[in-house]
Amino acid sequence: MSYQENIARIINHGPGYAVLPIQDMKIFERLRAAFIDSISEDLNQKEDLNKIRESMIGMPKSEINKIMLNLMTQHQASEILVKSCKNLVTALSGSELFIQRRANFIINIPGSDQRRQWPHYELMSGVSPFTYVIWAPLHDLDDGGGIYYLDASESLAIMKAEDQKGLVNGPEMFDMLHNRVALNLKYGEAVVFNPFILHGNSNFESKFARIACSVRFQSALKPLMQKHTDYFRHYVIENLEK
Amino acid sequence: MTTASVTTDIDIGPFKIPSNAQNMIMNFYAGRNSIPIEIVIPEPLLSNKLATTIWLHKEFNFTKVLLSSVHQLPMIDVDFDALVKAMPNVEFHFAIEGMKGSGKDFLNSVSQEVKMFNRCKQINANDFGWLGLHKLNRDL
Repeated sequence: MSYQENIARIINHGPGYAVLPIQDMKIFERLRAAFIDSISEDLNQKEDLNKIRESMIGMPKSEINKIMLNLMTQHQASEILVKSCKNLVTALSGSELFIQRRANFIINIPGSDQRRQWPHYELMSGVSPFTYVIWAPLHDLDDGGGIYYLDASESLAIMKAEDQKGLVNGPEMFDMLHNRVALNLKYGEAVVFNPFILHGNSNFESKFARIACSVRFQSALKPLMQKHTDYFRHYVIENLEK
Repeated sequence: MTTASVTTDIDIGPFKIPSNAQNMIMNFYAGRNSIPIEIVIPEPLLSNKLATTIWLHKEFNFTKVLLSSVHQLPMIDVDFDALVKAMPNVEFHFAIEGMKGSGKDFLNSVSQEVKMFNRCKQINANDFGWLGLHKLNRDL
């Protein structure tokens, strides 16, 4: 079985998510550099990533939110992340794509009083059933600050149970999931998952904020759902390896 | 140096955006980008040629025109060509997509992208429900 067939099998017909090495770290490094440059502008001084992560502890939530909004102006981030995982992306969606216009940089602050991502699957946001997500931390993740994922069968079982009750993202699901353990990842690894995989993050304790970047993409030959030009742009991956 | 924002019919490609919401979107975009809006142009209901904007351009010589979305560009070739010919140096801003640029090449590339999106089928989530959407993913 080829790499492409194996990835498609795991993500579409197997567990629904996988941790994979980023194919081109030289390209991916540009993403981390773009993040550091943007934050250094906000902080008025150039810092290394760990100092930036440390300096974010204790920042007001509104300030963190403002930084994340400013980071959405990093229009190249989306393309960088897709290009750095070219073979993975083409295995799932081919080379003619709709990719997220503005990749998300996500900053999570440790502590029980901080925001955390409510468990959800991506479909809830209005992306189509044919959209995939790549999520990659900008540093090693070994303090529980990452994301937990439920495999495809467990996610579907919860979807079905909620559907019977006429619920989506109901309180039982929330209670059931919030103590799950996040995946540890190395810098240079990414998680890819399909839009039906339940995931979220739990509280964690650390001296550092967690910084990650994510991008969504789908084949331009598959139907869209509610996300349209507001969210996606047309993009063609060129120079594919034979 | 005159900047105009333009509201159009509520039906904007795949979106339904009332004109007051169009103004909110453009004003927010203008504020974030420090663009002072001087003239607000309400294109008439059912109009999709930006004809009022072209007509007013002769009088006000716009330097920037703000629209809510790329879907407000004329989709019929002859109307699109008329816009490009009449406003070759005007900088167009599309607030929802966060795109800006001027000239024939820019507007053509935007128009091509819109056509690419419009060729794509669109799923109505209400027709499927959660489990139906999951099945759709398996079937297609």
